[in-house]
Amino acid sequence: MLWLYLHFPHLLLDHIRRSRADVGALVIIENSGQIVLQACPKARDYGVYAGMRLKTAINLVPELGIVRSDHQQEARVLEEQARWLYRYAAHIILVAPDGLLAEVSSLQRLYGGLSAVWQAVKQALGEHQLTAWPGFGYTPLAARLIARTGKGECTSDKGRLFCALGQISLPDAEFDARTCTRLQRLGLNTLKEVFDLPAAELARRLSPETLSYVQKIQGTRADPRLPWQPPHYFRQQVDFIPEVEKSQGLLFPLQRILSELEQDLCWRQQSTDSLLLVLSHRNQEPTRLRIRSSGPEHRAHLFLDLISLRFEQHILQAPVTSLALTVRRFLEREPSAGRDLLGGHQDPDEAWHTLISRLQSRLGESAVQQLSPQADHRPEKAWSAFQVQGKSQPTTVSGQLSLRPMWLLKGPQPLLEPPKAWFTGPERISGGWWDGHRVQRDYYIAQLNSGQLAWVFRDVRDGWFIHGWFG
Amino acid sequence: MSEILNTLMQDSRIWRGRRPVHSPQPAEPTGHQVLDNHLDGIGWPRGALSECLLDSPGIGELHLLLPLMHRLSHTDKKIFWLNPPNIPYAPALLRKGVNLDQVIIVHADTKNDFLWTLENCLRSSVTGLVMAWPGRLAPRDTRRLQLAAEAGNNLCVLFRERCYAQQHSSAALRLELEPGEHQELNVSVLRRRGSWAGQHCSLSMANRAGLSVYEVSHVIQGPWPALAR
Repeated sequence: MLWLYLHFPHLLLDHIRRSRADVGALVIIENSGQIVLQACPKARDYGVYAGMRLKTAINLVPELGIVRSDHQQEARVLEEQARWLYRYAAHIILVAPDGLLAEVSSLQRLYGGLSAVWQAVKQALGEHQLTAWPGFGYTPLAARLIARTGKGECTSDKGRLFCALGQISLPDAEFDARTCTRLQRLGLNTLKEVFDLPAAELARRLSPETLSYVQKIQGTRADPRLPWQPPHYFRQQVDFIPEVEKSQGLLFPLQRILSELEQDLCWRQQSTDSLLLVLSHRNQEPTRLRIRSSGPEHRAHLFLDLISLRFEQHILQAPVTSLALTVRRFLEREPSAGRDLLGGHQDPDEAWHTLISRLQSRLGESAVQQLSPQADHRPEKAWSAFQVQGKSQPTTVSGQLSLRPMWLLKGPQPLLEPPKAWFTGPERISGGWWDGHRVQRDYYIAQLNSGQLAWVFRDVRDGWFIHGWFG
Repeated sequence: MSEILNTLMQDSRIWRGRRPVHSPQPAEPTGHQVLDNHLDGIGWPRGALSECLLDSPGIGELHLLLPLMHRLSHTDKKIFWLNPPNIPYAPALLRKGVNLDQVIIVHADTKNDFLWTLENCLRSSVTGLVMAWPGRLAPRDTRRLQLAAEAGNNLCVLFRERCYAQQHSSAALRLELEPGEHQELNVSVLRRRGSWAGQHCSLSMANRAGLSVYEVSHVIQGPWPALAR
């Protein structure tokens, strides 16, 4: 089996740099905060290199952006890369912290040759603005070792691969320090020389573990690895160095994430109707924004539209250090019924969902309501408002509806002057003894001096109130 | 004499008033025969703003729109109520045959939200009718709404107080509503497109409270002992 190993020499740097257009010099430092682990090209121009002390680096570049390496974050970023690679290769193995392994021999027929596979992956790497060193090999370890030298070439020729593998020096071949020293004392410097040793001698003189490692590189011993399965949700995170203070600045990285979401949804042939946006702050609880569209949707620009509407309403509490977009709810796509082949007419369902989603994200979900009658005799309980849902259920009416005004007041208002004329009445409405909101009223229709036709009632305590207008 | 007149009439430089220019402007009939006649059979203009100016609710202003609401709610168009001053009462709407699935109530808190919402509703193709209670509007805002209504070719009826009758507005139809003696609604046309304004008519609205015109003379002597004095 032929394997492709992608080694990301500065994955975290790439991840941070692509979230913003204007980034200064950046370095990744180790967890204790003393040594520079990775430096971006801009920092390298100033003379900062990996392994330098942080203090020296800051002296060289005072405005240096500093990111502490974080294993969790690295693992997450690596998994994000596996997600898109999964579109090209089915069998993927994560090699923490900075490598991905993909089985490519089965892909050659699909793509039409190894170089076509590599071209496709290379183009995707370019789209994701990532630096990766490739390596091909007939065992996972061989591919990894070749990739990490940075000299991997696209070939499936066994002889050439073996030759490249043989030239790798022992420290690069990732023997541990003790084995390395012992091998060097034997006068061995490259892998080729180790391969030439008889297996039994190697096990006896050094250790059985060393032998098994060498055999795994050669492929004479099994090297089982757990394949990676894509999770059933979408999650992308962007980290900001320096922090973002205005919500407008969040839209740029969001645009990229949403177009990746759109691709992801297109690829699954699914849609979603709710996104969770988590904005982390330095010393505060993260802000959680739930973005809903009223119907299934997959297009990036519509989501971006909804999010920018939300941002207009939502003022950032604190500078944002990172932004994560999660989608856990996936809906099957429905074929749109209203659209013809040429797409001349906008689907009414779609127009409806777009409008309602926009209104809800700007005004709040409770601001958009529908009405329905309720089976109750008390006028204030004989109706209800509910939030607009994707599909409206038809309202059913039972029985004869009695004469009611078109306007109901939010609460009864006292009647201040005697009406000019009295019409029908009284209609006694009594009820509510079962739930504590007892009502006993006699309703009349009356015309006030202002000409308004009112629905008035007298309650048990002889007070007169207006409860509605015949609009 | 008549020959001279006929020649004159054919001259395009002669402009004749009182004769509606029948431009093919899209419109919806109001459903009230008397009012339709006064509006030369045009009714509520589509793709334009209409204004109803009235002082207080409860004079039959919703019944003026009820035939239109009824008709639109049985198509697949939505009817938006934007910031209604009271609660639109669902049982009454249902009794009048309005399909409640198509009725959407929207509340916008601030002026900006209100205009934004109204504009969005007007531009959408799902909208049939927007009824809005805006209160104070700057001329610039009405112009903006007018453009939105044109873009969506939708009906928009604004309910405003009568004090705004003197204010300039770009609405295509402005009606002033006043209550009459016998529960009827007196409508005066303040402005309309393509013809003279100034018509008055009276629509019988007594049936909105289940009263027939005949009943009006039989006023029940109300149980009003305490407050009458």
